[in-house]
Amino acid sequence: MYNSFELNESVLKALDRYSQSLIKIAFAYLKNMADAEEVAQDVFLAYLQKRPVFENNEHEKAWLIRTTINKSKNMLKAGWFKSRNPVPENLSYLPREENEVLQAVLALDKKYRIPIHLHYYEGYSIQEIADILQAKPATVGTWLARGRMLLKEKIGGAEDEAFSI
Amino acid sequence: MKRSVYKSAMSHLKTSENFNEATYQKLMREIEKQESDGTNNPIQSKELVKMEKAKKKTVTSWTVGVAACAVLAVGIFAINQNGPAKDSVASPSATVQPSAIASEKPPILGKVQVNIDGVISEVSADGKSFKVGDLWVEVTDQTKLGSNEPTATAPSEELLQKEFKVGNIVSGFTSQDVASGRVTADVIYNNMAPAKEEAPIKGKAAVNIEGVISEVSADGKSFKVGDLWVNITPDTAMGIDGPTAAEPSEELLQKEFKVGNIVSGFTSEDVSTGKVNATRIYNNMLPQQ
Repeated sequence: MYNSFELNESVLKALDRYSQSLIKIAFAYLKNMADAEEVAQDVFLAYLQKRPVFENNEHEKAWLIRTTINKSKNMLKAGWFKSRNPVPENLSYLPREENEVLQAVLALDKKYRIPIHLHYYEGYSIQEIADILQAKPATVGTWLARGRMLLKEKIGGAEDEAFSI
Repeated sequence: MKRSVYKSAMSHLKTSENFNEATYQKLMREIEKQESDGTNNPIQSKELVKMEKAKKKTVTSWTVGVAACAVLAVGIFAINQNGPAKDSVASPSATVQPSAIASEKPPILGKVQVNIDGVISEVSADGKSFKVGDLWVEVTDQTKLGSNEPTATAPSEELLQKEFKVGNIVSGFTSQDVASGRVTADVIYNNMAPAKEEAPIKGKAAVNIEGVISEVSADGKSFKVGDLWVNITPDTAMGIDGPTAAEPSEELLQKEFKVGNIVSGFTSEDVSTGKVNATRIYNNMLPQQ
């Protein structure tokens, strides 16, 4: 168990280390930066309140990612969230290729979107993604493969060129 | 290895510049709030809130339950009380209070007669009262003695004695309240003395002597069969007498009593003493080889 000082220290360290990761995961889920930041703040608040004990940094990060996904899901289910019509996030400032790929990924169903984000942005393996999403590795592999296939159909590319997102 | 375009895009995504600062301040406010509340464990405080809510819910549930039971009870009571009122069509204006209905019993019409039946355990000094069980019964001039039914026979002296004595069996009835413990008898049918004990049976009881001799006395005139010593006296009849009886043979009625011999006969004396004189000996024969 942490004492109050240690807990506060570890939460503040986690804020420095993982805030960007959590915001990006929440964004991949919610497709809105303001909502994503709100979710990320709630995650750090939960960390402070629930006082989870972690074996190592990776364990801590996995817990934060899982909590972010759960809180994003909850926000999507909320009545106020469903009833509103948000203005689509303006991503025009991104380079054309990045904008195109990001828009294509965000257009995917979230069951493909999140594994793709965790794999291509966070660099997690299929097994690690399976642990975070509490799914079978084979299922995660299928989600990744189908997501890549859908992206290839949308983005296209040369026949002889290896597809990469 | 080609760099991921997606990763690059995500890295270039603009987030609030002061996100960490804002979050940090929010967290610090939360920490201060926890410290000012005096609890470092918000989970515990949340649990307390949950428990309080659950307690409130329980109390509310009980209150609602008890109220519902009370309403049901009042309803059932009201329905039960309204029932008889509906029957009183003749006087609808006459409303009867439920408590009055409960307390007023219908008047008893006619006399209740209670049997007097039993053995007299006590008689008063004047002989005109006796006790049967816990009830004192007084016999007055008004008390009828014997049955006055048309088919009844005249009471005999044996069944209806004039004097009440302890131990007599009496029967009759009273119409008075026996709860008082003392009543006047309306009618006494019988007052008879208890059956006398039968006289002891007189006469002799003959007990068979039958078995194998296990012991013989030194003089040879007594032997033991089972636990009974049997004496042979000059009065002991030997053999079977009767008009059709044959003469006892030496084989069946030997003169000498020996251990192992089979004897039969009877005695008219009390065998409980363990030693009797034989009245008759039918047989005294050697055991079969």
